[in-house]
Amino acid sequence: MSRTHPAAAAVFLRDSERAAWHDEALWFVRQKRDTATALPEWEALRDAGAALKAHAMGRLAELLETFETHATAAGVVVHWARDAAEHNAVVLDILRSAGATRVAKSKSMLTEECGLNPVLEASGIEVVDTDLGERIVQLAHEPPSHIVLPAIHWKKEEIGALFHRTMGTPAGESSPEALAAAARDHLRDALLHADAAITGANALVAETGGVVVCTNEGNADLGMHSAPLHIVCVGIEKIIATLDDLAVLLRILARSATGQPITAYTTHVAAPRPGARMHVVLVDNGRSARLADPEMRSALHCIRCGACLNSCPIYRRSGGHSYGYVIPGPIGAILAPAVDLKAHHDLAFASTLCGSCGDVCPVRIDIPAQLLAWRGRAAAAGALPAGYAALIRRFGAILADRRRFDRAGRWARQALRLIPSALLTGRWNPWTRASRTLPVVPRESFREWARREGRLK
Amino acid sequence: MNARDTVLSSIRSAAVPPSPAAEQVSHAGGTVDLLEHFFRMLTAVGGRGLVRRANESIVDLVTSLAEDEQGGVVVVPGRVAVAENGAVYVDASDLVARADIVRAEHLVLVVPAAALVPTMHEAVRLMPRGSACGWFLSGPSKTADIEQSLVVGAQGARTLHVIFDAG
Repeated sequence: MSRTHPAAAAVFLRDSERAAWHDEALWFVRQKRDTATALPEWEALRDAGAALKAHAMGRLAELLETFETHATAAGVVVHWARDAAEHNAVVLDILRSAGATRVAKSKSMLTEECGLNPVLEASGIEVVDTDLGERIVQLAHEPPSHIVLPAIHWKKEEIGALFHRTMGTPAGESSPEALAAAARDHLRDALLHADAAITGANALVAETGGVVVCTNEGNADLGMHSAPLHIVCVGIEKIIATLDDLAVLLRILARSATGQPITAYTTHVAAPRPGARMHVVLVDNGRSARLADPEMRSALHCIRCGACLNSCPIYRRSGGHSYGYVIPGPIGAILAPAVDLKAHHDLAFASTLCGSCGDVCPVRIDIPAQLLAWRGRAAAAGALPAGYAALIRRFGAILADRRRFDRAGRWARQALRLIPSALLTGRWNPWTRASRTLPVVPRESFREWARREGRLK
Repeated sequence: MNARDTVLSSIRSAAVPPSPAAEQVSHAGGTVDLLEHFFRMLTAVGGRGLVRRANESIVDLVTSLAEDEQGGVVVVPGRVAVAENGAVYVDASDLVARADIVRAEHLVLVVPAAALVPTMHEAVRLMPRGSACGWFLSGPSKTADIEQSLVVGAQGARTLHVIFDAG
């Protein structure tokens, strides 16, 4: 992605009415989360969520082998893939061997990460994304803008026009009920006639060899229990040790994601149904390298609930597409730099470091600390634009020296009072250009006030 | 090295320090009326619940539910009901075909009244060992993908009833 986050966000913010609507839609989801997590044991659940993930990472190789043993014994074929290209090749090979040409796929951020759809389509395989939100963005030839709510940036009138063009719904129809009903017929047809179903996984349970898939629509189940072939595409970090861990995970996941106590469908599937085949593709694609980085390792604990996105004032006001990475928002901003620091260092700065993302994270990933650490690494690697790096160094020198800081403060308070505001808020000032106001300038600093009051020794 | 060995050796060379398993989470589940809590959560997730008394016929109950509904009604036994989220665990071994669980337009889950537990912590322990497939079902199929407007009956069941069998 050539465009930086601030540049893409500026484009998003040009339509201020839409930006405000986007902000409110996500804040509404965040508030539902707040209500749903008002349990006396919520903080204990977060502790358990963090612990079960750290535990699984400490035993990752062993748990994956246990999972493989159980799954294989139950008739599931387990594959391993080092990277995205290998994952795509494995999936393509399974589909080709089965002669499959129509695939119904439920939500999987991993297949987005690996770019699976274009690879299958180039080989003449038709892929229908069957989650309603995912289908909307697929029909519009866009990536999802949110990991749980892929079409959160679409208005119902626009979806109506899209469905009119692609599904033949009546022109001008924009009621969510009517559009969802049309999508039901359209998607059930694709789901019931697919040669193969591809799903992601919310968890792999080592103890049972089971794959856990959570949906509200039931689309993953319609696909996997109808098609003769089911392929699960999953990152290796999704493994957990036991069903007890699964209980914790299921208690925190939907509450954090959408404010529901649990998703409508939570499927635990450990064996193919009689006469059908089931494959699981375990994908590394940079995860084991991340595991070797103690400072950033816990980003792998992410359960993809999206709570940090809904909470983030920057995400809500810049939209998922402005991040230029498959996973947007605060969690994407700490995952992307590990993939390519040069290309994604800007995301570490797409935050006010307000800490809201860390506060809502159900597995207690310290996202703000990692954002800050990535800023340091970006600077150390020389990835920052030259002018920006010089400015940060100047600021650093001033902030590190009390006398220079006091002098700079006095100068700034004077200057901001004396210079006419028309000059201060002109087009040259990137701060006010981005529709921000300047703060009211105080007459004196806190230290000056304290000294005047005789409270400073 | 093949992909499996490469991935596993790469994980092992990361040398992640061992970390203890999660501790049990205690909760106040025992102090509330579980049935009342279950029905409240079931209603919140778009389902409906009732209790069959000893003198009522299950066939009559299901028939009375089915009269209101267009399309097929599928009745399946539930193993466990979870008060905190209105979910019922259904095991695939109790079904003719797995796909019935999502192809049915209307689902009726019949659960023994004694099989009601407070939270998921107790519920997962009652999943049958070695189960090939099973579900926690919480209300009917739904979506909020169009402007966060909740639409019930997205792709799976349009209605979901839970009957507690106290007979």
